[in-house]
Amino acid sequence: MTLHPLKLVTIICEAVLEEIVVNLLRECGAHGHTAFAVRGSGNQGERTADIMEAGNVQIEVIVKPAVAEAALERLQREVFPSYAMIAYESEVRVLRPEKF
Amino acid sequence: MDFLTAVQSNLLSPAILFFVLGVFAAVSKSDLKFPEALYATLTIYLLTAIGFKGGVAINEAGIGVVWLPALAAAALGGLIPLWTYPVLRKLGKFSVADAGGIAAHYGSVSAVTFIAATNFLKSINQPYESYASAFLAVMESPAIVVGVMLGKGALGGKFSFADAGVRHALRDAVLGKGVLLLIGVMIIGALCGKRGMASVEGFFVTPFQGVLALFLLEMGMVAGRRLGDLKKVGGFLLLFGITAPILHGSLGVLLGTWVGLSVGGSMLLGVLAGSASYIAAPAAVRLSLPEANPTYSLTAALAITFPFNITVGVPLFYELAKRLQP
Repeated sequence: MTLHPLKLVTIICEAVLEEIVVNLLRECGAHGHTAFAVRGSGNQGERTADIMEAGNVQIEVIVKPAVAEAALERLQREVFPSYAMIAYESEVRVLRPEKF
Repeated sequence: MDFLTAVQSNLLSPAILFFVLGVFAAVSKSDLKFPEALYATLTIYLLTAIGFKGGVAINEAGIGVVWLPALAAAALGGLIPLWTYPVLRKLGKFSVADAGGIAAHYGSVSAVTFIAATNFLKSINQPYESYASAFLAVMESPAIVVGVMLGKGALGGKFSFADAGVRHALRDAVLGKGVLLLIGVMIIGALCGKRGMASVEGFFVTPFQGVLALFLLEMGMVAGRRLGDLKKVGGFLLLFGITAPILHGSLGVLLGTWVGLSVGGSMLLGVLAGSASYIAAPAAVRLSLPEANPTYSLTAALAITFPFNITVGVPLFYELAKRLQP
């Protein structure tokens, strides 16, 4: 079995941003994404997620290193200044690199 | 019935008592929590039920009777931000974005406040125009559009429809789930008429009170969790959260009486004008005015204005409507 190194980009942000972030990822070259509703707290206060609009969403996508870098760079420039969010990348290894 | 009896009978209705229980659960940090999906489900149920009922009423009354008060309602919604914005800027010292955001919330409406008001009218056997849910449908969007334009600096000539956040917000304001569901189901109700109502009555009418009580329990918790934020928003917003609904509500009652609505109908228009949105407006404002602090608008709408309206506002606007009726 051969595993291929790729990057997992994770974004945790306000639920209202989901469409904007997903569009941005697509524009940078991502082929898909996974999103799920989450709750938690951060330096902009607790997000109780009691009503969907006030909750957080976690968006994950596996991409090539260059795409990860471009996406994180655009997120930092276009979305970070105005919203409560974090984003990070990590190393992952996948079976079918052509999918990503 | 005098004003105090009206207040008392309102406070002792199941819906309001469930709301109080919800606030208590949140404040006492109880582990009571609704699954998120239930909140969304109950919202859809309530909007569908009042939309259908409103549609059937439009079918009965005829669109010729409905259009004038509906137009007045939409105009009032769009105009409210025009004076709340300068008040928030000058007296409240809020930034352009914050003032625009709060103005959008207060011009837009709260469906649950409206439903609580119809509930009150039913409990005291006061008839009202059942097509009033059409007012709810047309009052949600105009204020969001006007508030966002003001918050973007429209007065300084800085507004542009090309802004991605603005476009996204405007689409949500006009085609968001609340408006789409209400107007869509209303059209269905209007097409089906009384016979259609007979077939869905068992689901949309009979269990309505129970569903509303359950929903208000959850609303109590949502509002209660934000009580802690009252300290952060300052005295001005506290005062604004109570005077704005009284002022706008009275204006709504006046307008309702003027366009020929009954006591019940004028009171409902007042309740709508006095209410503040906490679903459609927050999402739209967050996207289009990211620099506005959502704590201000959401705390004011949810923790001050909503509880005020469903407890004191509703009987107050009823009393006013009764006195103004020729």
